[in-house]
This record gives sequence, C-alpha cells and structure tokens, in this order.
Amino acid sequence: MAHGSSEKIVSTRVICLVIMLTSINLALNYVMIGIPNVKLMDLIVFLSGYLMGLVPGILVGVLTWLVYGTLNPFGFNLIILAATCSSETIYAVFGWLLKKLNIGSDIITLLDINGRKFWFTSLKFGLIGFLATSIYDLITNIASVVIVGLSPIMAIISGVWFALIHEVSNFAFFFFGCIPLITALKKVLPEKEVIEL
Amino acid sequence: MSGKSNWMWVSIGLLCLLIAAIYLATYYYSESVYFRSLYEGAVSDLKKLTMKVNILIDYGNGTQTWYNGTSVPRETNVLMATRIVALVKGTEYPGMGTFVDSINSVRNEGGKYWMWYIWNPDKRNWELGPVASDKYVLREGDTIMWRYEIPSF
Repeated sequence: MAHGSSEKIVSTRVICLVIMLTSINLALNYVMIGIPNVKLMDLIVFLSGYLMGLVPGILVGVLTWLVYGTLNPFGFNLIILAATCSSETIYAVFGWLLKKLNIGSDIITLLDINGRKFWFTSLKFGLIGFLATSIYDLITNIASVVIVGLSPIMAIISGVWFALIHEVSNFAFFFFGCIPLITALKKVLPEKEVIEL
Repeated sequence: MSGKSNWMWVSIGLLCLLIAAIYLATYYYSESVYFRSLYEGAVSDLKKLTMKVNILIDYGNGTQTWYNGTSVPRETNVLMATRIVALVKGTEYPGMGTFVDSINSVRNEGGKYWMWYIWNPDKRNWELGPVASDKYVLREGDTIMWRYEIPSF
C-alpha cells in the first residue's frame, strides 16, 4: 500500500458517509419503532461494511446503537446496549467478507432485473442477511434473558417469533435492497476511496 | 461460477432453512409443553370437583350394563349420576322427590318399575334405596344399581 491504512480510514468522504448513514439509520429506527424487530438498520450497516470496509461498517453499527440504545423509548440497559453494539458489527463483518469474496462485484452489469444472475445474487445477499441476523438474534436474545436470569434455551424459546420476524424481514430487505443501494452508494463513493483493510 | 461455489451457497441456503426449522420446532415444542401443563392442571382441578361412582343398570331380562368409574360432580345425587350415563325420564313430586318413569326408553309398565339399590360393602349386599333417587347424595366410590323389577313390597 502506498499510504498507511489510518490515512485511508480518515478519508473525509468516508467519515461523511459514516455520519450520514448513521443518521439515516437513526431516522429509520425511530420511524420504524412501532414495528418490533423490523429494521432497515442492519442492511445499512451491512452495506457500509461492503462498500467502505470493516472499520467504517463497524462504526456505523456501533454509533447507531450508542444513540438508539441510549435514547430509546423502551428503556436503557447497559448489558443489552453492549450486546447490540457488538452484535451489530456482525453485519459489517459479513458485508466486508462478501466484498472480499467478490459477491456482487459485477453489480453494475446486474442491473438488468430480467437476468438470472441478478436474482441469484439477490438471493445470496438475502441468505447472508438471514444468516447474519440469526447470529445477531442468538447473541442479543441470550443477553436479554441473562438479565432476567433465565437459561439460554429459554432465551431462544421466548424470543423465537421476534427472531423469525427479524430474520425473514432482513432476508427480504437484503434480497430487494442490496443491489439497488450498492449501485446508488457506489455513485457517491468512487472505487478509489473504498477502504480495503 | 464454479460448482464448489454453488454448493457453498446451497449449503448456506439449507443452513438458513435449518435455523428457521429449529426456531419453529422449538416454538411448537414449547407450546406443546405449555398446553400439556394447562391440560394437566385442568384435569387436576376436575378431579377435585368430581368423584368416581359405579352404576349398574339391570333391565330385568338378563341384560346388565355397568358404568364403572363414572365421573360425577361431588355432592351429586343418584338421579343426576344416572342421567350422566342413561336417558332418564321422571315425574317430580314436591316434597317427596322424583319418581323415575323410564330409563333408556324402558318404561314402568306391567307391574314392573325401576328401583334403585346401593351396594353395602360391609354386608356385601344390595340395599334398596332408602329415599327417592334425587334425595340421596352419593359419596366417592359408591356403587348403585337400577333394576327393572316387580317390587317386593
């Protein structure tokens, strides 16, 4: 690398994007607060990791939760906040990994929605969304129930519907949202400024 | 796309289905446990409110039908217990009780009447009911008999 990685991380445009995406996340979270466990935030964090790299992706997730977890009408709990902050990074990690695996790298050519490849790539994103969400739910459900003092099995049982709603909705969001949003965000984030960690 | 990559995505898809299946199975198992406990609680409550009695209906022509272990409400009388296992018609006489006219469509006629008896376990014999069937309160484990016969008195 010609420049140090820290120099790349503090790229002004990336910082602006991190702040913008965090703001969008917060706005979306508060708008969708009435729909339990259906949030577009996970998709945005995933895309941050996919487009900007691991650290900006994690930053978007953690910053969003620091605000949303603190100023939340359902109340504040430090253990849950820690669990959600750390679990949200899973989406950034998955996004970053998918970029490394070159999934959807030919996304501009995928814009032909009649193409078989478009739907196949969307399905891949959907599956990754489902998988990442199931890991996220497992961690956060266990953390939530540990506070109450129940066993981890009880955590899975008590949160099963919430988890399924979360996973199925994220599957749909990732399936339908990834390719259009990646295409849109790539326009404001030229390839040379994408952070490669 | 290589065949190896395809298999990886198929595996991820199956893994997602497995996760969903585990969630649903866990949910329905917990529901079954919950409803079983509710059912057992209801059965337990029912046992507290009911008792078991044995009822014999003797049609006087060699046909005898036993209704052993019949669950009846506590503090119930002979007539009410019999109505649980058979179609009973009767005439009520104020102050005296109900006179049974027919059981399972076998009516009192030709000098034959439906008489009720209670088993005395100490003497090991049937004793004629001392009062009208709706005036005698049964106890847990009682055994009663209805017999279609020409009264001996």
